[in-house]
Amino acid sequence: MTSYIRVCDIEKYYGTGSHVTKAIDRLSFTVGKGEFTGIMGSSGSGKTTLLNLLATIDRVTSGHIYYENTDITALSEDALSEFRKQNLGFVFQEYNLLDTLTIEENITLALTLQGGTKKDIQKTCDRLLKLLHIEEIREKFPYQVSGGQKQRCACARALANDPVLLLADEPTGALDSFSSRTLLETFTDLNRSLGATILMVTHDAFSASYCSRILFLRDGKIFHELIRGEKPRRLFLQEILDVLSLTGGELSDAQ
Amino acid sequence: MLSKLAFRNMKRSARDYLIYLLTMTLVSALMYTFNSLLFQNDLKAYWNTEGMLEAMVALATIFIVLITAWLIAYMVRFMMEKRSAEFGIYLLLGMKKNTLAKLYLRENILLGILSLMTGMSFGILFQQILMAVLFSMLRMDYHLHIALHPGTILMTTLSYGACYLFALSRCRRKFKKMNIRDLMEAGRRNEEIKERHETIKQLLLPLSILFIFLFWTFFGSLATNGDTILFIIGLVVTIYLFYIGLSARIICYVRKGGKMIYQEQNLFLLRQFSSKVRTMQFTMGTLTALFTLTLMGSSFALMFSSWQNTLSDHKFPFDILLYSPDPADDFAKEIQFLEKSVSVQDAYPYRIYTDGDDQVNAWMLTHLTFWGTMYQNPDGSPDMTGIRQMLENESRYCTYDTYMGLSDYNHLRRMLGYDEITLSGKEYALQVKPRLEKEVQHIGDDLILAGADGSPSLSCGGIYAEPFSQDGHNGGDYIVIVPDRVLSRMYPYYSELALDIEGSAPLGLRDKLSELRYDKTNDLMFEGNDECPALKGNRCYGSDIIFVFNTVNEVKEDLRTSLASLIASLTIPLFYIGLVFLCAAVTVLSVQQLSDSAACRFRYDILSKLGLKEAEIHRLILKQLAAYYLCPALLAILISGKMMLFAGERFVMATGVPLSPGSFFLRSIALFFGIYLVYFAVTYISFCRNVTGGESRS
Repeated sequence: MTSYIRVCDIEKYYGTGSHVTKAIDRLSFTVGKGEFTGIMGSSGSGKTTLLNLLATIDRVTSGHIYYENTDITALSEDALSEFRKQNLGFVFQEYNLLDTLTIEENITLALTLQGGTKKDIQKTCDRLLKLLHIEEIREKFPYQVSGGQKQRCACARALANDPVLLLADEPTGALDSFSSRTLLETFTDLNRSLGATILMVTHDAFSASYCSRILFLRDGKIFHELIRGEKPRRLFLQEILDVLSLTGGELSDAQ
Repeated sequence: MLSKLAFRNMKRSARDYLIYLLTMTLVSALMYTFNSLLFQNDLKAYWNTEGMLEAMVALATIFIVLITAWLIAYMVRFMMEKRSAEFGIYLLLGMKKNTLAKLYLRENILLGILSLMTGMSFGILFQQILMAVLFSMLRMDYHLHIALHPGTILMTTLSYGACYLFALSRCRRKFKKMNIRDLMEAGRRNEEIKERHETIKQLLLPLSILFIFLFWTFFGSLATNGDTILFIIGLVVTIYLFYIGLSARIICYVRKGGKMIYQEQNLFLLRQFSSKVRTMQFTMGTLTALFTLTLMGSSFALMFSSWQNTLSDHKFPFDILLYSPDPADDFAKEIQFLEKSVSVQDAYPYRIYTDGDDQVNAWMLTHLTFWGTMYQNPDGSPDMTGIRQMLENESRYCTYDTYMGLSDYNHLRRMLGYDEITLSGKEYALQVKPRLEKEVQHIGDDLILAGADGSPSLSCGGIYAEPFSQDGHNGGDYIVIVPDRVLSRMYPYYSELALDIEGSAPLGLRDKLSELRYDKTNDLMFEGNDECPALKGNRCYGSDIIFVFNTVNEVKEDLRTSLASLIASLTIPLFYIGLVFLCAAVTVLSVQQLSDSAACRFRYDILSKLGLKEAEIHRLILKQLAAYYLCPALLAILISGKMMLFAGERFVMATGVPLSPGSFFLRSIALFFGIYLVYFAVTYISFCRNVTGGESRS
């Protein structure tokens, strides 16, 4: 697998003067093309900060992040916006759907921002609605549908630009177990059939067990890494729980 | 503890709702300024309006108190909704509802006191500006004279207090109805967008446009007051329905997948706008109505003040002009008196003559727009019985036609700095008021007047329309100029004395003249001598409306002062009301948008994650705010435009002000948008800062 994203010795500090917090501490790793990577860690371990840095919505204090040959830490604000528009897709715990737009319009808007003719936009939108099984609710507003449906809509929107990387921040955090499973299966499916590269931040072992590789973060550093390989998911879950129990992680998440 | 909390909360509200605080400060500054006219009017001595200004300011204050109370009530309710979660926490901690109500009232009263105090200090400054403006209207010098007057302070505090009393009276009851759970949930509740019957509702848009079109077409020709009232009621309903229709139309367009939504961020913009209009439709309607009133108020104020600039020169071209009903008066007493009071350059007594006929009067009554068809028979010919009756019983025109000799006329023209005219022995000339110039163009086609020998031989040799004091002095509306020898067959009708003086007359001269001439002008007025019928009905005032100055002693300086004060009594309250209405309405618009910026921050954050650049987001915010600000303003312009064009036309026709009817309205729009833009800019800057300022951390 070719390495697609290279994170080289990055650091991130918050605050000024005597109140400086180190959120990311000299971190380096790579993500291969088509990989489904999970990032785990307890609260305050720096996982969301890392995701924000990769998502270009926050800047590193030092170090470099390369997407293939592009160093995003060297891009201007406008270039970053353009990069985000072309290459990245986002799924967040709080769905982040626009409440004044219907499910279909939320996807249409993302497609319109990419440019294209009315016909193309409508066609892609229909395809995405079908892919995420949300055709039935296309005319509903976000407040009228369930959390799982909202998250699938967010997923469809994230796929609108055919992203090279799909970033997910606790995507199952607000979902019930059934919706969580459906969403994670969707992710796996996207990863396998479309070859999408996915980076998911979670503190839930069950969600993490769908990934092909997991980086464990503590105090802004990677302290462990698990690779699923050909193992069945249940076994992989057990391994994750073991790591969490050894490090005093959040065992209750697996119950 | 409660006071400390109230004080802290007040500080926070002042920061969060800065625009509201500034508007309330401005309102109290304006209140102080205009109330000062009641107590600190340095011009009172020259103000010849017999309490009219005081009455008008008091009347305006009632409107101001009502609208300000509305603004405060709106803001109190609005802040209460926005802070519901915080109130929930207070209740959860065990605070009693009564205490909470007291806390909130105390906060608002503190906010009120803060703006009142700051406002009054600005008011002292504004008052000086207003006085300087008024003095310059009277063409007098003003020297700064800063003083606090207890009456002004008391009146301002009372009217400001009344606003708060009205606004806060229902606040306590609202707190009683509160429930902790609802309060805590309120902030988290999603805005629910209910779309029902949109296809039907969208028809309201073309219907309201149609009504406005009908209004434009028929407003000018409405026959009765009943029709006009019905139209106005229809208009008010239309304003409110327009917004329901507009929002539904946009929703239908978006749902249908209109072409526009696939371009740039239009989809977001349209949805954002329609949902805002949907939730705010009643407020938007009210704001439109307020803008309409503001535009009309300021247009009227501009009309009168622009007129004021030309009116005194038009109405009173002579420095001093005295009328005497006695055709033989030589004005010896007056000339002697005036020579002592002013430096006389030229004193010229002359006579106005009549031929005892009324053919010129009849022509005027049947041809001027002012009289319409009132004195015409159904076939268009003059209704001579009606005309005779009118001339004998009413004093718009003298009972008989009025004439002046050419030499007298030329002497007066010289006095006014106009060129002299010449007439051949077979010609007459007509001198009319400036506004009638166009209407009498064809008088020569109809009127051939009798010459010196009595045979009809004088034809029209010219029409002159310079200001010539034709409100009863040099005729009413018109005077016919004839060669001097023609006068030999006429009767002297009444006498006039025109004076050209050096500099301007001292104020109060007119009163002294009235005293001096009391017997002369009172005893003989309108009463002819039976032996000399021509003396009957030799006093008139012409067909002017709005301001009619029927005065026997015309002293330019005195009349200009009282005219300016009279007009100021009308324009000042109109500007006052217009300003406060506009500020109140635009504050509601701004506060609505700014308090929404929290929710919008989240939306724009998503758009930024979708790849929108900061400049694009700023542009989007600009478009969103512009649409929201322009919509009620444009609708108000559309509605008030028709009324003001109509009123402007009538005004120009009645006064002869050399301006186009639309110019008052355009200037009023410029004034309106000046203030509007200030609020818009402040809102835009704060909105952008709220939405994009500061990095968000997750």
